[in-house]
Amino acid sequence: MKALDNLSLEVPENVVFGFLGPNGAGKTTTVKLLTGFARPTAGRAWVAGEAVGGDRGGFRSVIGLLPDVPAFYDWMTGREFLQMVGELHHLPRPEINRRAEELLETVELGKSGGRRIGGYSRGMRQRLGIAQALVNRPRVLFMDEPTSALDPMGRREVLSLIMRLRESATVFMSTHILSDVERVCDMVGIVDKGTLITVSSVDDLRRKFTGSVFEMEFMEDPGPFREALARVPWLAQPEIVLHGAARVLRVKAVDVDRARKELPRMIGESGLTLTRYELVLPSIEDIFVDILTRGETI
Amino acid sequence: MRGLWPLLKKEVREQWRTYRLLIVGSLFLMFGITTPLTLKYLPQILESAGEGMTIEVPPPTAAQSLAEYAGTIAQVGVLVVVLVGMGCVANELRSGTAVMTLSKPVGRGAFVGAKLMAMSLTFLVSMAVASAFCFAYTVWLIEDAGVMAFVELNLLLGLFLVFCLAVTLLLSSLFKSSLAAGGIALSVLLGQALLGAVPYIGHFMPNKILGWGNSLLTGGGESYWGALAVTVAAIGLCTFAAQRSLKLRDL
Repeated sequence: MKALDNLSLEVPENVVFGFLGPNGAGKTTTVKLLTGFARPTAGRAWVAGEAVGGDRGGFRSVIGLLPDVPAFYDWMTGREFLQMVGELHHLPRPEINRRAEELLETVELGKSGGRRIGGYSRGMRQRLGIAQALVNRPRVLFMDEPTSALDPMGRREVLSLIMRLRESATVFMSTHILSDVERVCDMVGIVDKGTLITVSSVDDLRRKFTGSVFEMEFMEDPGPFREALARVPWLAQPEIVLHGAARVLRVKAVDVDRARKELPRMIGESGLTLTRYELVLPSIEDIFVDILTRGETI
Repeated sequence: MRGLWPLLKKEVREQWRTYRLLIVGSLFLMFGITTPLTLKYLPQILESAGEGMTIEVPPPTAAQSLAEYAGTIAQVGVLVVVLVGMGCVANELRSGTAVMTLSKPVGRGAFVGAKLMAMSLTFLVSMAVASAFCFAYTVWLIEDAGVMAFVELNLLLGLFLVFCLAVTLLLSSLFKSSLAAGGIALSVLLGQALLGAVPYIGHFMPNKILGWGNSLLTGGGESYWGALAVTVAAIGLCTFAAQRSLKLRDL
C-alpha cells in the first residue's frame, strides 16, 4: 500500500498553502517527509533551497514545525522551553531571552511563561507550540492542524498571525478546517489516497467551480418545489440545508445559462414567496467534496 | 555533535527537576551508610533476633564492608539503571517530544549522547557520595582501609554502570515501549553475566571488571584488561547504534 504515490509539489515563497485531504489521504506523511522525519522510498525534496533529510543544520535551521499535538517536557516552564529552542538554533544569548519574551507575548502566554508546561491547558500548549516554531524566524513553517485546539478567539488570533507570517515566510498548513483555508490560504493542495488531486490558487479553484450553485429562501416550505427541481435535467442535487433557523434550498446548475433564464420563471410559477435568491460562489468545502467525489486529478 | 551543550543542560536539569538525582542519590546513600553499620552491628542484631541461639560471627573487615557495598551497588544499581533508563528515549518517541527536539538543528548523536552523559552523571555522583560515606563509616566503625584500592573499585563499578546505561539507552531507542526496552536490557545484562562463566569468552565480559574491582580490595586477583576494553567499546558501540537507530527510523 502506498502512503503517497508520485507526489510532486511546488509551493512558491511567501504564500499560505493549505494542504487538504480526508483522513488517511497522506497529509501527515507528506509533512513528515518534508520535515525529514520519514524517508521516501524514491524521490527527493527541497525546502527553501535546502535538501531535506539528515541532521544537516542548513535544512532544520530554516524550518519551523508545529505538529498536530505538540509535545513538551512538562517539568519545564514555557519560557525555558523557548530558551532551549533558541539555544538549539544557536541564537546569541541576549537574542534568545528577547525572542522568548517577544513570542510569549505574541501568543498571549506572557503571564504564564514562568509556569510549568505540565499545568498548561490544551490551548496554551498549542500556542506554545506555535511560539516554539517561530523562534528561528523560519523561512518555511509547517503547521499540522494549527487551530484545532483553540477556542474561536484563539483561532482568530492564530489565523491573523498566519496571515502576517506570509510577509516573511511560507506557511504549509495541513488542516481539516476548511473555513480556515478559506480565510487565510492563497493556494490549496488536495490529496486523496496518496495522490495529489489538484494544486491551485483558491481564486482559480473558485473560478473553475463558480456560478454553479443557486440558493433560495422562501417564506413557505420549499419541500414540494425541491421535488419539482429534482425532475429538471439542467439542474442537479437540489437539497434543503439549514443556515441557522432558515431553510435554504440549494441547487446546482448543470447548464448555468439556462438556469439563469428558467429558474426565476419556475420560482414565479411555484406560487412561493421568495425572500432570497442568490448565485453563490462555492465554498472550499463544496469544492473539496466535489473534487473528492469526482475522484480525478484536476 | 550539533546541539550537545543545550541538550546536556536540559537533561541535567531534568535529572534534578524530576527528582531522579535525589532518588538515586538517596538510595545509593542508604546502601553506603547501612552496609558498614549492618556489618558492624550484625552480632547484636542476630543476638536480639536469636531467641537464645548463639551465633559466632567473626569481626568484619574493611575489605568485607567495602566489597559488600560494591556488590549491592552492582546488583541493585543495575536494576535502578534499567528502571531509570528504559524510558529515556522510548518515552520521548511515544510522547512526541523527540520530534519537537529533533525538528531543530540538532544531531541524533547529541540527542542520545546528552542523555547518556546526564544519566551517567546522576549515577556517578550518587555513587561517589555514597562511596564516600561508606568509606568514612567503614574506617570509623570497622578499621582503616586502602583508599586507592577503593577508588579504583569505584571507577570500575562506575564504568560498569555506564555500560548498563548505554545498553538500556540503545534498547530504549529501538522500542517505543519502555517496558520492552527495560525487559530486554535486563536480559542482555544478565546474559553477559552468565557468559562470564564460559571459558575464554568469559574473560572479556563486562561483568568481569566487577570481580577485578573487588580483588583490588584484598590486594590480589586477576586483572581483566580485555573486559575493560570491551566495556568501553560496548559503551561507544551502544551509543553509536542508538543514534543510528534514530536516524534510520521514521519518527
